[in-house]
Amino acid sequence: MNIRCARPEDLMNMQHCNLLCLPENYQMKYYFYHGLSWPQLSYVAEDENGKIVGYVLAKMEEDQEDLKHGHITSLAVKRSHRRLGLAQKLMDQASEAMVECFDAKYVSLHVRKSNRAALNLYKNSLKFETVEIEPKYYADGEDAYSMRRDLSEFSKKKEPKKEEQLKIEE
Amino acid sequence: MPSSNPLPPKENALFKRILKSYEHKQYKNGLKFAKQILTNAKFQEHGETLAMKGLTLNCLGRKEEAYEHVRRGLRNDLKSHVCWHVYGLLQRSDKKYDEAIKCYRNALKWEKDNIQILRDLSLLQIQMRDLEGYRDTRYQLLMLRPIQRASWIGYAMSFHLLEDFKNALSILDTFLDQQQRLNIIDYEHSELVLYQNQVIQESGDLKQALKHLEKMSDQIVDRLTFKENLGNLHLRLENWNKAADIYEELIQRNPENTIYYKKLIEAKRLTKEADIVDFYMKYNEKFPRAMPPKRLPLNYATGEQFRILLDKYMRKALSKGVPPLFVDLRSLYKDPKKIQLIEELVLSYIESLKKVSKYCETDVGPKEPASAILWVYYYLAQHYDYLKQFEKALEYIETAIEHTPTLIELFVTKGRIFKHAGNPIEAYQCLDEAQAMDTADRYINSKCAKYMLRANLIKEAEDTCAKFTREGVSAMENLNEMQCMWFQTECALAYQRLGKFGDALKKCHEIDRHFSEIIEDQFDFHTYCMRKMTLRSYVGLLRLEDVLRGHPFYFKAAKCAIEVYLHLFDSPLKDENAEQELNTENLAPSELKKLKNKQRKAKKKAEQENAQAREAQVKRDQHHKSRQQGDVEADAPQLDELIPDKLARVDDPLEQAIKFLEPLQSLARDRMETHLMAFEVYYRKRKILLMLQSIKRAHQVEPSHPKLHSCLIRFLQVFNENQRNFDPAVLEVITSETKSLLSTKDAKKLNKEFLDSRKGSLKAALEGAIATYQLDNKLQKEALGLVMDIDHNKYTDVDIEICTEIYKNLRNGKLGACAQSQLDAFVAQCRKRYPHAEAFQPPQEIKAQPQTNHVTTEQDSN
Repeated sequence: MNIRCARPEDLMNMQHCNLLCLPENYQMKYYFYHGLSWPQLSYVAEDENGKIVGYVLAKMEEDQEDLKHGHITSLAVKRSHRRLGLAQKLMDQASEAMVECFDAKYVSLHVRKSNRAALNLYKNSLKFETVEIEPKYYADGEDAYSMRRDLSEFSKKKEPKKEEQLKIEE
Repeated sequence: MPSSNPLPPKENALFKRILKSYEHKQYKNGLKFAKQILTNAKFQEHGETLAMKGLTLNCLGRKEEAYEHVRRGLRNDLKSHVCWHVYGLLQRSDKKYDEAIKCYRNALKWEKDNIQILRDLSLLQIQMRDLEGYRDTRYQLLMLRPIQRASWIGYAMSFHLLEDFKNALSILDTFLDQQQRLNIIDYEHSELVLYQNQVIQESGDLKQALKHLEKMSDQIVDRLTFKENLGNLHLRLENWNKAADIYEELIQRNPENTIYYKKLIEAKRLTKEADIVDFYMKYNEKFPRAMPPKRLPLNYATGEQFRILLDKYMRKALSKGVPPLFVDLRSLYKDPKKIQLIEELVLSYIESLKKVSKYCETDVGPKEPASAILWVYYYLAQHYDYLKQFEKALEYIETAIEHTPTLIELFVTKGRIFKHAGNPIEAYQCLDEAQAMDTADRYINSKCAKYMLRANLIKEAEDTCAKFTREGVSAMENLNEMQCMWFQTECALAYQRLGKFGDALKKCHEIDRHFSEIIEDQFDFHTYCMRKMTLRSYVGLLRLEDVLRGHPFYFKAAKCAIEVYLHLFDSPLKDENAEQELNTENLAPSELKKLKNKQRKAKKKAEQENAQAREAQVKRDQHHKSRQQGDVEADAPQLDELIPDKLARVDDPLEQAIKFLEPLQSLARDRMETHLMAFEVYYRKRKILLMLQSIKRAHQVEPSHPKLHSCLIRFLQVFNENQRNFDPAVLEVITSETKSLLSTKDAKKLNKEFLDSRKGSLKAALEGAIATYQLDNKLQKEALGLVMDIDHNKYTDVDIEICTEIYKNLRNGKLGACAQSQLDAFVAQCRKRYPHAEAFQPPQEIKAQPQTNHVTTEQDSN
């Protein structure tokens, strides 16, 4: 399995993976919108034949009033590739890029109230916290947990630029 | 330039308000103002007002009136740039881009420096990839608006796309020089610098690219792209140590990226397999949680070392219970020695686990969890399935299910084994069981639907999918709206197998339309990306769209469509009424009555269905209208409704097939099937040169493909029959081009040579046998002899597919008429070999389509 930043040619295969795995689907244009607005933020997991087995589709919320933050539009790993820790690894890469390129302070997402597996992943493995419940967030009337993860740990990781400069000039 | 028919101040003010209303999408207001001008007798034929009224009507979905008004406006004021511009916009909204470009050009004749028209023109030019035209228009825009960032970027990019790197770079340099003085470093600037670097790299000057990247380092916020490029440049410039440092850093950042390890190996110039294995072991210590340093050495290690590493790797996964263990290791199966080592090792686990709950009897330490043996069974089932030893595979999966009857993965695997063993019905039943165990998981639901389609159960598949599609619309429709191509392709193939050719074509066309739509999707990004500065991704998008129909999804759908059209050409659908009359002649009165009853019922049902379809269409239209109300794209052209019966009765099936074929010929040239299908189309059109072209291309891809032989034989037949009618120039081309392809122009001789040289292959034998019979029907016995005996190890490539194909050819007369006893003998052989395969079951034993609790199959109540 290989985890890397998504490229435009991955977007169609991400849509395919999404349609297989999740009830919330989007037309291609929405994938293009993500890939062309924030090319650094979406990641894919691929197998040895280059088949996409998981992805995270992410964006920045460009709301002037709020703190700068990223948002996970969609995250999926094929059931045939579960228990490899792919979701967590995808999320970590996307989060790091949010901080590095867009100075994000936190990342948010929505999850179905009934989706225990996902909830468990976000809460326990990825340190997301529930902010509120959004009633009837989903098209079928289900409530969503609105969750957040603080990204300051990634800000610390951000390399000091001066050092980088020195190293290259050596 | 002013209009040839200027309005007085009061009317002019009203006209301006029409423009404003249009911009603000207040179309009703726009119409009101237009009316105020047009009701004045003096101005009732005012061209620009009529044109604007038309444009406004278009946005309200009143297309016909729109065209009428715009055309009338234009006729009344042919020298108005407004009228021409408006006509262009109208054409554009109908996706008639070539026409729209002509209109814009006319508009510019009368107002050459109009920014808006130039912008609109440039958008169409880039969309249509008129790159030279685009460059010229961008030049004009730059001259008119030199302060705007987008003017510079657009002009530079036009050169980049034309691969004129020198000009592209000099414009970017000039622009960035101005920018530098502003001293703003932000994301957009960073993207621009990275874009600049990409252009330098593409120009081939890697040293300059490296210099540039290093110099600009502190202006780049996207450190990942920076480092990936830096590492790559160092590598290509053979600065091994520097490259190695960068890839170390990249691995630190993302230890799950396998490419980084491979590049680091390259930078460290490790080539011996043992060194590579050592390398990964070292990184495994450094990054104990990362997967690649554990998994990748298995690709390089051999013999005892492989066994030791594998043992460690498998034990960990089996104890933890990692379901994807087999898919993870599957790529090792390219090496037969590794397959054997894996098999021995896993079988040894079973023995020890049974005895002492450990992977090896001599192991010290605690016992393994009870689940370990379950995962071993599960692994072995997949292992034997891969090796096509279906009986063993089934045995292990059954043992696993006995051990833990609640694990969904086991049923999925059982289904897959049945699928591979040739039994789609049993396969889908397993998936249906799996699906019922976790109805909240869409992945299982999708797999179940897919297996239902493989078993030709379309209605059931749709009902299954409906559990996850939006309520209020049919699942079919929702899946189409969401561009769910896997479903539509499988659906098309199921319809094809069922002989419902119109329905199959409908699905194929729906997929083709998704591709058209995705190509349309670019449009908005031409302006958007210039603003966002995400130019690297934008260029990536343009390049992707250029080859979009090279995607495997398109290939599958196109292949289905082409096959269906070929079939419809060979056996066109009969006229329904004529067919009915024909059938009634030989019927007893009682039977006739029954038949008529049945027909009446069918007719009534069809009528009802039609009415429902019409109703659904109306709803759909309303849905689209309400969804897009006020949207500029509300005027998007309504595509013709796809009606199965109409699609199946086209009068030019071969031309239709060519429409699907052409994208494959340019974008899927490396696939054998593309050229084989092309041959089938041109053979039917008796286009000798295109037949030859297809053969030549196929020959380049895979000269030993058995189907190529059939093409050559038929080519020779057509050639020899028509030799005297060919133009001498054509004849000359054929003679010179076939020299390397054909040892002889005698088809029978060629066939004999082929058969002699391909003795071990059943696939080749079938093609040779068909040719033998077709060339001389007195030789049926010889022909049948080639394919009727699949046992006795005569052939090395026997599988379910080829046996099915032979059986088909035995029945359809391609090998002449066969006696039932001959057919039975052949099928008996196949059945012995493939006891699960549906194709070889005696008819009475084929299981009836099972009723499942959530599905009601519609059956004739007679």
